[in-house]
Amino acid sequence: MQFLKKNEYGKYFVDRFGIPEEIIEKYTFWVRGKRVWAFSGEYIDIKDMEVLGIKALSLGRTPKPSTAFLRVIGKYAKKNVVNLDKEKALKFLKGENIKENFDVEQGYVIVKSNEDILGCGLYKGSLINQIPKKYRYEDTWL
Amino acid sequence: MDEQKLEYFKQYSEIIPNFDAFMESLEKEQPYWMRVNTLKIGEEELIGRLENKGFKFEKYKNLNAYKILAMPVKHPGATLEHSFGYYYIQDLSSMAPVFALNPQKGEKILDMTAAPGSKTTMIAELMREGTIVANDVNFNRLKSLGGNLERLGITNVIITKKDAKSGNFGIEFDKILLDAPCSGEGTVRKNPWGFRAVEDREHKMLARNQRIILKNAAKHVKNEGIIVYSTCTFNPWENESVVEYGIENLNLKPIHFDLPIPHLKGVEEWREERYEYVEYYKRIYPHLEDTGGMFIAVLKKE
Repeated sequence: MQFLKKNEYGKYFVDRFGIPEEIIEKYTFWVRGKRVWAFSGEYIDIKDMEVLGIKALSLGRTPKPSTAFLRVIGKYAKKNVVNLDKEKALKFLKGENIKENFDVEQGYVIVKSNEDILGCGLYKGSLINQIPKKYRYEDTWL
Repeated sequence: MDEQKLEYFKQYSEIIPNFDAFMESLEKEQPYWMRVNTLKIGEEELIGRLENKGFKFEKYKNLNAYKILAMPVKHPGATLEHSFGYYYIQDLSSMAPVFALNPQKGEKILDMTAAPGSKTTMIAELMREGTIVANDVNFNRLKSLGGNLERLGITNVIITKKDAKSGNFGIEFDKILLDAPCSGEGTVRKNPWGFRAVEDREHKMLARNQRIILKNAAKHVKNEGIIVYSTCTFNPWENESVVEYGIENLNLKPIHFDLPIPHLKGVEEWREERYEYVEYYKRIYPHLEDTGGMFIAVLKKE
C-alpha cells in the first residue's frame, strides 16, 4: 500500500494543541490505510517502503494522535495539555485513568509531568488512559 | 567465559597486539555504555536525573557517551527516562562507524543493514536534518528498529525491507553505512552465552556475502560519496579481505578518517593473504577501552 501525501493533517495539531505552524511545517504528512505518518526528511520514492517517519495519527471518527509523535512535538503545545504531578504521572504511565476534572476541552489531550511528555490521554470529564502498552511503566523500573 | 570459547580466540594471537591483555579482557564482564539522545534532552539534565536515581557514570571525552559504572537496576534500560527515549544503550565501539560516517545536515544516507537501529538513531542525532533510509531484510528486526526510532522520536527515517545483497533503492546516496552481518566475535564479552565458535568455512561464506553487499553498496553511492564498511568481528577474511576486494574491483578508494576512540591499524597478513592498505583501516579491540570489538574502513567512490 502506498503512502499518500496529505499535509492537511498537520492542521490537526495546530488547531487541537496550538502547536506553532512553523513547527508543524517541518513535517510532511502521509496517509497509508488508517494511519497518518509525520516525516521530516526529503521524500524518496522507494519500493518496499515499510515506514515513513513516525506514526502521528490514527484515523477513525475523530483522529487520535500517537503518543510517540506527541512526545516529539508536545513540548510546543499551548492548549489541551494536562500537567500531572509525579505521583499521578506514575499512575497514568502504569495505564490507570485519572478521575479528576481538568481545564481542557473534551477529546484527546497531551499529558505531561513537568518537562516530560507522557503521551496521549482522552478527556471526558476524567482522564482516560491512551498510553500504548509498550510505553507503560513497569514495577521493576526506576 | 568457558575455556573452549577462550581457546577459539587464540587463533588471533599473531594479529592482535598485546594479545595477553586482549585475552584477559575477554574474561572480564563488559560494562554498559550509553548515548544521550540530545534530540530529546540535554546531557546534564539526563545525567543528573539518573544520578539521583543511583546511577554512576564516567563521561567519555567530549562525547555524549557515558560508561555506566554502577546502576541500581538489573538492566540499564529499566527506567522511565529510557522509555521516554532520552538515552540509548550502545557500546562505545558500536558508535565508531557512525563517527567515521560523519553525517552532515541535509545528506541522504543509507544504512543498509540497520536493525535494531543503534547506528541509525545515532546518525539521525548527529545530522539533525537530512534523510536516512534504514534497511533490513528481517521482519522481526525491522520491528525493533521501528520501535527504537519511535522511542527516540526520530522522524527523518524511511524504513525499507530489502535484501542488502540485491535490493534496488532507486537512487544514489551521499553516504552509505554498511555494518555488515558478520560472525560477531567482537560482541563475545557482551553476550558470552550467545557466542558460537565459527569455522573457517563459515567465515568465508560470510565474507562472500559481505562482498556481494559491498558491491550493491557501491552501486548505490554517488561518485565522490563514501561507504563506511564495518563489522563487529576480528576475522580478517570478513574485514580487510572484503574491503580490498572493493578497492580492487569496485572503484572504491580507501580514505583516512579520525576516530575519537582508541584503535589500531588493520592486519597485514592472515593465512597467506596479504593486505595492502592497512594504514587506512581501524580496529577497536576490547582491551583498548573496555568495549566490544569493531573493524572500520571508509571507502570513497571514484
